[in-house]
Amino acid sequence: MSGSHEWAVELDAFGKSYASGWTQPRSWAVADLSLRLAPGQVLGLCGPNGSGKSTTLKALAGLVAPTHGRVYIFGSTAGSGPARAHVGYLPESVRFPVRQTGRELLRYCAGLAAVPARQIGERVDAALKWAGLVPAADCRLETYSKGMRQRLGLAQAIVHEPSVILLDEPASGLDPEGRLALVALIRDLARQGRTVVLSSHLLVQAEYLCDRIALLGNGRLLAEGTPAELLGADRVAPAESSPLEKLYLEKVRGC
Amino acid sequence: MAADVPPAVWADSGRRLLLVAQQTLLEALRLRLAALFVVLGLALVLLAHWLREFNFGAAELKFVADFGLGAIGLLGTLLAALATAQLFFSDLECGFAACVLTKAVRRWEFLGGRLVGVMALLALFVAGLGLVLGVLIAMRETQLGGTFVPLPVLLQACALVWLKVTLVAAMTLLVCSYAGSALFATWAGLLLAAIGHLRAFAGRTDWLGWLRFWPDLGLFDVDPLLGSGRELSGGELLALGGYWLVFTILLTALAAYVFKHREI
Repeated sequence: MSGSHEWAVELDAFGKSYASGWTQPRSWAVADLSLRLAPGQVLGLCGPNGSGKSTTLKALAGLVAPTHGRVYIFGSTAGSGPARAHVGYLPESVRFPVRQTGRELLRYCAGLAAVPARQIGERVDAALKWAGLVPAADCRLETYSKGMRQRLGLAQAIVHEPSVILLDEPASGLDPEGRLALVALIRDLARQGRTVVLSSHLLVQAEYLCDRIALLGNGRLLAEGTPAELLGADRVAPAESSPLEKLYLEKVRGC
Repeated sequence: MAADVPPAVWADSGRRLLLVAQQTLLEALRLRLAALFVVLGLALVLLAHWLREFNFGAAELKFVADFGLGAIGLLGTLLAALATAQLFFSDLECGFAACVLTKAVRRWEFLGGRLVGVMALLALFVAGLGLVLGVLIAMRETQLGGTFVPLPVLLQACALVWLKVTLVAAMTLLVCSYAGSALFATWAGLLLAAIGHLRAFAGRTDWLGWLRFWPDLGLFDVDPLLGSGRELSGGELLALGGYWLVFTILLTALAAYVFKHREI
């Protein structure tokens, strides 16, 4: 059984439950979630903690198996070889081996992602340049700031040039400057025609970045559509940063 | 079917497995734990030289070799369990394993690479300390004017120690594949290693008969080798190597099966 190749991402009545002990009934992290995303679109998964955002992303990455329903990436079951070739994934709060350099880490990731050996150097250089990490490429990761590590996380997710990129709270813990740099990179991915699915608590950022937004609550889909469809006449054009952030950046960059 | 898989697929698998092994060895060499065990091992091997007076009537140099190899084996067993668990869980807990396992690498390749990396670490550990022990013995033999522990016997003893500690690493990896913490995996791995030494009890009572299905680590003891001073024949070495290979593959395959179904 396979999904349709016309959709980059397809969740068909996806549900995931976990056992909560011998006597308790299984608890559903996500229930009956159906979503479809066309290639090149950016989808934001928004919702409170425990609403099923990370579980959905993990299912798309093939790290957890659905208890119910199906999950497809370009028509292949998530987690299968063909699906993984399409996917780049950045988990929430990832920590990389700190004694490695950024270049070493990307070479390792590229090698495991079936990038041909002759192309690894070129792809790693391109990913480092894209993420703005060339000056720090040969420094150990323990010297990287949080923002740099997150950009490196993005670089490892795209080093094998996947067409679907899954980002779990990519801006979590970043200062406004780091967040804006990350937003610029994600917008660039969308411009390149890649499909991006990201989870975020930052609704303003999600509205600014995403073509479609899915609001989740208690593991269920509460609303889904383009920001214009969801907000209708109430919608105000989103800005990259708030007035306070603009002031902050002006002061911080000036000092 | 394995016969239907194109050779390039196996070559790619081998390349990715070696990549994970290389990464594992690099991480392992940067572990403070490994450095601590090397220092402890060196101290114990050197201590064997000073303790040679207390040889309980055995030949002095045989005592030194026995004590030194015993120390290497004991510390190697601890290092095998600790390094395997620590390296496995460090990636899993920090989320890096999730990044890696969404790429083309298969879970058995990841697990196999981890084991091969730890085996390489253990090879360096045993070879390094074995070399120090060999030099100590050679120096003393020069003073005494004779060969008491032949070099082939010492080399074979080191090989036996390595085979034993790598089996402990494979046992720990099996626990890691389903365990929730490095601490549990380490203790359980050491417990399984201890069970591997109980094979002698397998025939004594019925309820211990199941021990026959668990690797017998006693086969890799170096005492008979050092005691007799006779090298193992090619056939004996082949039999031991085959025994080790079968159990290493079985334990790793079981670990890979469990890990394949694990949610990360």
